[in-house]
Amino acid sequence: MLDAIAWLDATDPQRAIRACGAKMGGLAELPPIGVRVPQGFAVTADAYRRHCVKTGLDEVIDAALGGLDSDAEAAGIETAARAVQAELTSRDMGADLAELITGAYEELSLRCLGVNVPVAVRSSAIGEDSATASFAGMFDTYLGVCGGDLVLEAVRRCWASLFSARAIAYRLRAGLHHWDMPMAVGVLELIHAQASGVAFSASPVTGKTDRVVIETNWGWGEAVVMGLVTPDHIEVGKADGRTLRYRVAAKKVISVFDYAAGGVVQGDMPAWLVDRRVLDDEQIAAVVEAVLAVERYYGYPVDVEWVLDKYRRAGEPVCIVQSRPVTVTSAGTDPMPTTWDPFAIATKYAFKR
Amino acid sequence: MTTVIPVDEFVTDEWYPGFKPGYGHASWYVDPVKTFSKEDEKAFWFLDFHWPRGLTPMGLIWNEDGYNWGTQLAAEQMPLPPGRGITTRLGGTHTYASSIPVTDPREIGQRARRLEHYLPPFLQNFEDIWGRMREEVNESWDYFRGVDLSALSLEDLRENLIQARQYHKRAFEIHFQVMYPLLANYVGFYGMCTELGLDPSQIGKFLQGYDTKIMETDRELWRLTAAARAAGLEPVFAAHEPDGIRAALAAHGGSAGTWLTRLDDFLQVYGWRTEGPADIALPSWTEDPAPVLEMIKTFLQKDTDHDFEAARAAAVEERETAVDAARSVLTLEEQRLFDGGLASCRAANFPWWQDDHNFYIDLRVMLPMRWACHAIADRVGAGHPDDTLYLFWEEIMDVSSGRRRYDAGLRSLVEQRKQYFDYWLHRRPSLPKVVGTIPELVNDPILIEIFGLNSHFLQVVAGADSGGQAKVLTGVPASKGVGRGIARVLHDPGMLHRLSPGEVLVCESTSPNWTPAFAKIAACICDGGGTLSHAAIVGREYRVPTVTGVGVATLLIADGDEVEVNGTSGQVTVLRPAAALPGGMPPAPAGQEGD
Repeated sequence: MLDAIAWLDATDPQRAIRACGAKMGGLAELPPIGVRVPQGFAVTADAYRRHCVKTGLDEVIDAALGGLDSDAEAAGIETAARAVQAELTSRDMGADLAELITGAYEELSLRCLGVNVPVAVRSSAIGEDSATASFAGMFDTYLGVCGGDLVLEAVRRCWASLFSARAIAYRLRAGLHHWDMPMAVGVLELIHAQASGVAFSASPVTGKTDRVVIETNWGWGEAVVMGLVTPDHIEVGKADGRTLRYRVAAKKVISVFDYAAGGVVQGDMPAWLVDRRVLDDEQIAAVVEAVLAVERYYGYPVDVEWVLDKYRRAGEPVCIVQSRPVTVTSAGTDPMPTTWDPFAIATKYAFKR
Repeated sequence: MTTVIPVDEFVTDEWYPGFKPGYGHASWYVDPVKTFSKEDEKAFWFLDFHWPRGLTPMGLIWNEDGYNWGTQLAAEQMPLPPGRGITTRLGGTHTYASSIPVTDPREIGQRARRLEHYLPPFLQNFEDIWGRMREEVNESWDYFRGVDLSALSLEDLRENLIQARQYHKRAFEIHFQVMYPLLANYVGFYGMCTELGLDPSQIGKFLQGYDTKIMETDRELWRLTAAARAAGLEPVFAAHEPDGIRAALAAHGGSAGTWLTRLDDFLQVYGWRTEGPADIALPSWTEDPAPVLEMIKTFLQKDTDHDFEAARAAAVEERETAVDAARSVLTLEEQRLFDGGLASCRAANFPWWQDDHNFYIDLRVMLPMRWACHAIADRVGAGHPDDTLYLFWEEIMDVSSGRRRYDAGLRSLVEQRKQYFDYWLHRRPSLPKVVGTIPELVNDPILIEIFGLNSHFLQVVAGADSGGQAKVLTGVPASKGVGRGIARVLHDPGMLHRLSPGEVLVCESTSPNWTPAFAKIAACICDGGGTLSHAAIVGREYRVPTVTGVGVATLLIADGDEVEVNGTSGQVTVLRPAAALPGGMPPAPAGQEGD
């Protein structure tokens, strides 16, 4: 029988994706190549599958989804989603699995020198982020969950997000069965973020692979990822690490940790930080180093979510909390010549029709 | 929705009195010069800004040998993949131009493959190629300067005129053979820079700060001004109209005599140019130095001399700063591409050539024809030397060969044709800027860059903004900065004397003879032109805020309005109409009463 809990630092990177899903498996691959990731563990896809079998959820799910096909009406999908999600979030997961999870959470707290430390609980389905079906942003993430009971609830909610109406509709269109993508869930140390953001090892707009593009805001990255704030925009040339552009944005929203509520929430940016440049040159270099290490490992352009630890010192790495292949490529656009060729350039710009 | 501006008002077989266009007499490559026909309404025609006065019959040789023959030959020879050059139609004495497209994709592809072999060596060897061409033009120029026309028989004068026409034609073959590849290269570089994320308003700066023959002339003009100031001649200039200054100086004697000698030395070198490009009807400065004296008179009104060295040093520094700033935002890979393009465009510098070549070609190669026509006028007893400029080629050939007597009807025809010329001169300010079918987009970069036919211009001329209500106009930001002043709406460089220091020049477009005005104006606004038109280039060199391609500025801005010109954003604002200003409305120039 496969383990229900897989610690990121104790899982063979070769089987990490199969056990921990695309996102957590991807993180497990990074420490061996020198990239820092948060400490944590995954509730494995196997644990989810066994839970579904043991508690009879499979029958419930099959009954609810059985009548749906790729032509299904939105209303029908919505009804099925509500029925499945209600069962998934309420059905007791059983003492064995619950104890394994809370036990692992207690150990993670100790490793982080605390008790009931805030964690990030992240969905990590098998097969998401694939080249053909990214499921981008469809599954749940909970930042700053504190205490065993709330961690268990967050895990169940992540499982349930596999059956949101959007996810069901997306699978129907893509011709995928939910059995093909069981849901692992990551429980990770919440890095105390001075700044966070995303970094692309190719321009997400033009597809140019000669640069790293960084977008960043103070605090946690939620406001950036959710598009609630215009972040600082930075472009760095890969060949010489030179900062090409740094556009300081007026950043009005910040994602902060609410200690009373136990979670990351959105708030107004303190006035003194609105127009202040988020990253200095050393920090930019650290982000670039991390994203390029990930790109070298995979051999293709990637985008990553990164966090700059409040306690990080100059020279230390930034923390990568997620990575995936860049979904925008330059394919289809007319590529620019790599050396000056007056005929090619004139044809492209002077004689275009 | 397609906007069609009818051509009906120009559709006629009638032309200059006594002449029915036959087209058999002129050479043409793809499409000849014609009057309009209804069929032409399908194409898009823009009023060419180079000849604001209109052209005399002899002046129309330019359309035949320069415009149509020159552009079409060059476009076929290079070739230009999507176009066969430019053809022209006549609205009375005025020239409307249109590009001739190539539409078959297979043919465009083949033309492109031919260009692929032609363009790189041309650009690499540009200095040598242009050097040899310039030498060819200059050698013939020296030949014509050396001929003593007074010693020639009428028959020999005829032969001289034929040679002069051939020289003129050859000069414009050269002109367009150089212009097309240079412009293609520059437009390619411009497009590449834009795609690299560089600020388009900075791109012109990368190639500025190189001396041209036109700038050299301007510098000498200021030296003459300084000499006049040093000799204490300011009162003489101030007290006389331009055409009386020379006589007044001669009468003044003393230091004025020395200065006049210096003026003549200047004219022998720089005076062989006309007050407009490619127009046989215009005298050279040497023939009539009034424009030179007028400019010096205006320059003397300024408190300080224009510091050319400082302006040039500033232009060079601005160029280097702009290049450094551009390179700093490029990756190493992009820098290699940019550096290659910059080196290519500096070795074959279009903005530089666009100014420089006027000295050797556009402003002088018509003069030998003019001299021969004048000499023939004298021999046949015409009332005025310019009378023969109102004959068509066949007619002057007949007269100079003795086949036809000047008095056999031509003398009276010339008078009628002068009236015809004046009638169309008066109509010029109200002529439609474009006729035919207005496209949503002009694809030909040459029309966009030189004539400013961008999408904004097309919208404006399509009529959207022509109600006369607009108080904010927009165009191409051609030279940065903000300038404010009283607008002078000029339709002809002959009106330049109306321009006082600190005023804003408003015109259809400028050409090199307008250049000295840039030393005194606060800003410049042009109906036509893009980032590479004459006003744009000179505006940047003189640091005069300039907006080109406004479309209908000469119609919407009234003479005497107080305007603000933002050359950085391309916006022109009418702050106060002339009537609301203290001192009332200054006198309106001819043709402005409808505004």
